[in-house]
Amino acid sequence: MDWIAEHWLEAASLVLIAAGIWWLMPPAPSRPKVVGLLLALVGTALLAVRLHAAAGPHLETVLFFVFAAAAIVCAILMITNRNPMYSALWFALVTLSTCGLFLLQFAPFLAAATVIIYAGAIVVTFVFVIMLAQQSGAAVYDQRSRQPLVATVAAFVVLGALLSTLEDVRGLSEADVFVEARPTSASETPPTTVANPLSRPAENESLASIKALGRSLFGDYLFAVELAGTLLLVATIGAIAIAPRRSRGTL
Amino acid sequence: MTGGVERYLIVGAVLFVLGALGFFTRRNMIVLVLSAEMMLHGVSLSLVTFSRVHHNLDGQAFTIFILTVAACDAGLALSLILALYQTSKSLDIEFWTELREADLPPPMLAEDAAAPPIVPPEPMHFPRLTPAGRVPDIHDKRDHNLIDDAASPTAESPTEPPKPEDVIKTAKR
Repeated sequence: MDWIAEHWLEAASLVLIAAGIWWLMPPAPSRPKVVGLLLALVGTALLAVRLHAAAGPHLETVLFFVFAAAAIVCAILMITNRNPMYSALWFALVTLSTCGLFLLQFAPFLAAATVIIYAGAIVVTFVFVIMLAQQSGAAVYDQRSRQPLVATVAAFVVLGALLSTLEDVRGLSEADVFVEARPTSASETPPTTVANPLSRPAENESLASIKALGRSLFGDYLFAVELAGTLLLVATIGAIAIAPRRSRGTL
Repeated sequence: MTGGVERYLIVGAVLFVLGALGFFTRRNMIVLVLSAEMMLHGVSLSLVTFSRVHHNLDGQAFTIFILTVAACDAGLALSLILALYQTSKSLDIEFWTELREADLPPPMLAEDAAAPPIVPPEPMHFPRLTPAGRVPDIHDKRDHNLIDDAASPTAESPTEPPKPEDVIKTAKR
């Protein structure tokens, strides 16, 4: 009971979002969508109260809330939309919002790479396949979903567990860990004893520097980069081998 | 540089759980793969946050590997989907639920059969101009056939037509 008394706001927000998603799930097409959307929006707003740590009204905070709300709302719309084409487009918006969050987290190269790879390549390929494989508008399997109530409840129980785990780091800013993690000087902790020494930005180097990221990738993670290249090659060969042939009857 | 980093982790967790939810409930194979990619987004966001917290670049390097794996994932998944589509002529994942009792039908297919059937939509009627003027002198009969074909409603009938209210909703969207 104490737990509920302390966390009623988060619990209410989670329940509201879950109810909204369940309302929007495909099996009941006659429900008005506005109700579900309102429920989800109110839940997201309540969750925003929880998200609002003791930070001032900085620009980062404002941008964070814009991108986070866009990501969550677009994600909800993506998994509840009955038209896979719209799902793909909402997914592109989720990707763009996530890239905004990457930018706020000092990762400009990742933001650019994610936009190029996801929004530029993956989503376009998905839209191609949807157009190839699903030419006649709405299909039965898009109108009905599999166990919507049970799945929603289970997923939001998992989310509640994750959030209660994150309680431990509430109010933690990067400065707290930063002071402990950063070697005070090169003499105290020589680079050989530090795990992944090349992954640390240099003294006057920002975390957002692409040079540091390249040094980390091609220094500490060189073998992993080689493996990733091999993985790309194998996946390309596999995709060509799996894809249907024209001789066996094309689409 | 001030501000909690917990909220980024929360957004990452929400994206992950929503992707998992989409993966559990949806039946379109393409939407399933998209949901899995959204789970990867949540994990990437958490990794980048950890990278910021610890002020090193390990998390960002991991995220680049996630991008690589996601690209491989999407390519393989799409070719698999196309191969499966050739076999079943449908994007429904329920055709591939092999993990069940051998004598039972696929669960959702039985449910689909039990559910009220979807009423075929009314064929669309477009306004037609009233004939006016002199009848053109057409010797070729095929032109008349063309007009008749366009008027008949059997030109395109989808195999499983949606309910009329669905059609109205789709049109509203």
